[in-house]
Amino acid sequence: MIRRLWGRLGLRARITGLYALGGLLLSLAIALSTLTLARQNLIEDREERAFSVAVRNAQRVENGLGAETEIEDVGVLLDNLTITEGSFPLLQVGDATRALDQAFDADAVPSSLRGLVEAGDAGRMRVRVNGRPLIVTGIPIPDTAAAYYEAAATDDVEDVLNTLGIIVLGVGAAATLLSAALGSWASRRALTPLGEVRLAAESLAAGELDTRLDPPADADLASLTASFNGMARSLEDRIERDARFASEVSHELRSPLMTLNASVEVLNNNRDSMSERNQTALDLLTGDVTRFTALVEDLLEISRYDVGTASLRAEPIDLVEFVRQSVHHSPYKVVINVGALQHLLVAGDKRRLAQVVANLVDNAAKYGAGEIRVVVGHEDESAIIAVEDEGPGVPEAERGVIFERFSRGSAGGRRGHGTGSGLGLALVAEHVGLHGGEVWVDDRLDGSEGARFTVRIPIGDIPDDEEWA
Amino acid sequence: MGTRILTVEDDERIRTSVRLALEDEGWTVEEAASGEDALNAFTREAADVVLIDIMLPGIDGFDVCRSIRQASDVPIVMVTARADTHDVVAGLEAGADDYLTKPFAPKELSARIRALLRRARSTEPGAPQMVFGDLEIIPEEGVVRLTGTEVHLTKTEFRLLVELATNPGRVLSREVLLERVWGYGYFGDGRLVDVHIRRLRTKIEPDPANPRYVITIRGLGYKLQS
Repeated sequence: MIRRLWGRLGLRARITGLYALGGLLLSLAIALSTLTLARQNLIEDREERAFSVAVRNAQRVENGLGAETEIEDVGVLLDNLTITEGSFPLLQVGDATRALDQAFDADAVPSSLRGLVEAGDAGRMRVRVNGRPLIVTGIPIPDTAAAYYEAAATDDVEDVLNTLGIIVLGVGAAATLLSAALGSWASRRALTPLGEVRLAAESLAAGELDTRLDPPADADLASLTASFNGMARSLEDRIERDARFASEVSHELRSPLMTLNASVEVLNNNRDSMSERNQTALDLLTGDVTRFTALVEDLLEISRYDVGTASLRAEPIDLVEFVRQSVHHSPYKVVINVGALQHLLVAGDKRRLAQVVANLVDNAAKYGAGEIRVVVGHEDESAIIAVEDEGPGVPEAERGVIFERFSRGSAGGRRGHGTGSGLGLALVAEHVGLHGGEVWVDDRLDGSEGARFTVRIPIGDIPDDEEWA
Repeated sequence: MGTRILTVEDDERIRTSVRLALEDEGWTVEEAASGEDALNAFTREAADVVLIDIMLPGIDGFDVCRSIRQASDVPIVMVTARADTHDVVAGLEAGADDYLTKPFAPKELSARIRALLRRARSTEPGAPQMVFGDLEIIPEEGVVRLTGTEVHLTKTEFRLLVELATNPGRVLSREVLLERVWGYGYFGDGRLVDVHIRRLRTKIEPDPANPRYVITIRGLGYKLQS
């Protein structure tokens, strides 16, 4: 149970815990030995003193006692003794006793000490009377069958010991806290390289494949760094190889596609002279060659992002005119809403933005329904292009994956594949990302049914004309 | 005499299928499998349009383009792998008039060729002579003179200059120039205009870095001033 809890704690928490435990044990040991030694020294010293005072007082009492002295007469004797504060004499003559103070009377004398004294030996004992600590010394006076007892209160010693205990406890607690702090600091220091490894791993996961760790000053960490960098290198190689492969395959496909396209066109030029069966076969061939060409073009386009050769060719674009022209060239009927906007100049890659708008409109036409609307607007330093339809919308669970390659939606229909290449929305996301913008899908803003795909790109610095040529 | 098209392409299958498609347009097609073949064929008999694949073994497409351009102002269409690389600008600077990316449909190619042929043959009878400072443009003869000396322009450069000259002082956007000179719509590649303007400036501007005639209007386009 404890083991499992311990295991669940983080490494830093465990190191801190161990340091704190060590500090606690050490300060406990020091506290205990300090207290024990102090107690022994102080109390023994006090006992010795009490004993010697008691012996001296007993001597005086013995001298003053006659054989016939009655208990009623000893008051004077007791009064003349050297009594320090906190000392209580008690004289026993025969069976009668006489005390000076009620704090210490015959009942307070422990019977074992009384037995010892009656047997003729001197002795001392620590007792507690009414909660007060006392050292009781008993000395027999055999000549007169008497005994002299003296109690010395040790509550001042107890006070000192208590105070000392509190101080030692406080110091111990402080030491424990200090150890914990030290442990926390040491563990953080020891784990700093791990933090760097974590950051590097996150950066790798985010796609920064050339992330490497700096060689550490500490020899103990060199092997960790070396193997991490080795892993990152082979990961990078592997991913680059895959990306290059896809890119090269697509490139290789272009030549046969050229031949196919040209040959199909030559056949189509002579379509009228063909039999109906041949015409049907030719139409099938033409349709699939067209689709195949579109797919390879999309693959080529997207593989440029994978091999890292996609670069933004920004030029000044008036988005209002741009969207008008895009819609004008669209095979679908599209409504434009630019509000009161006359012009909206952005720095954009015209070819790529045209593909973004075309793919979104195409997507709306295939998987939405009703009227397709393209909205242009701006928000602060960003330009907005939104494409809305009146279809069933996109279920919330699919809104993220819909921009992945070859994603296959469920309910909203076959959004993402079908007659398209399956790369349309993925390309939209890549193109928009290249512009430093973002694209997302949600419900229409006016609350009516339908999907709204929103593209937001920074307006950017409008480049000088000569710069982008 | 029919229109002759020289196609330079090392892939025999593409060459053959493209020839068939172009022949269906009624043009005569001569094939060349390498840069050397192309230069020999062009020296033997000039073509009306040359189609060059940039990726050629031996002498590459850029060099073929430059060599042909030195000898002739024949319209050249080059075929590049991708639209977003420097290949396009490099090809245009080597003298190409237009470009296509693989894989293209032959219909696109014939549309490009038709636009170039239209440009190559337009004589515009009756167009008046125009003068901008030391610059003299005679559309009818296809001649441009700078301080009395004839400047040699390609057909495309000439069309571009005439287009600017017939709207003196007015700014023409890239899109307008793309449409009027190349026959492209709004989504044509603006680099076609920019590279041709650059080449035009090296021929007619006393100091091409500080143009005096063809002026850039930032964010809008170009204009010709006298």
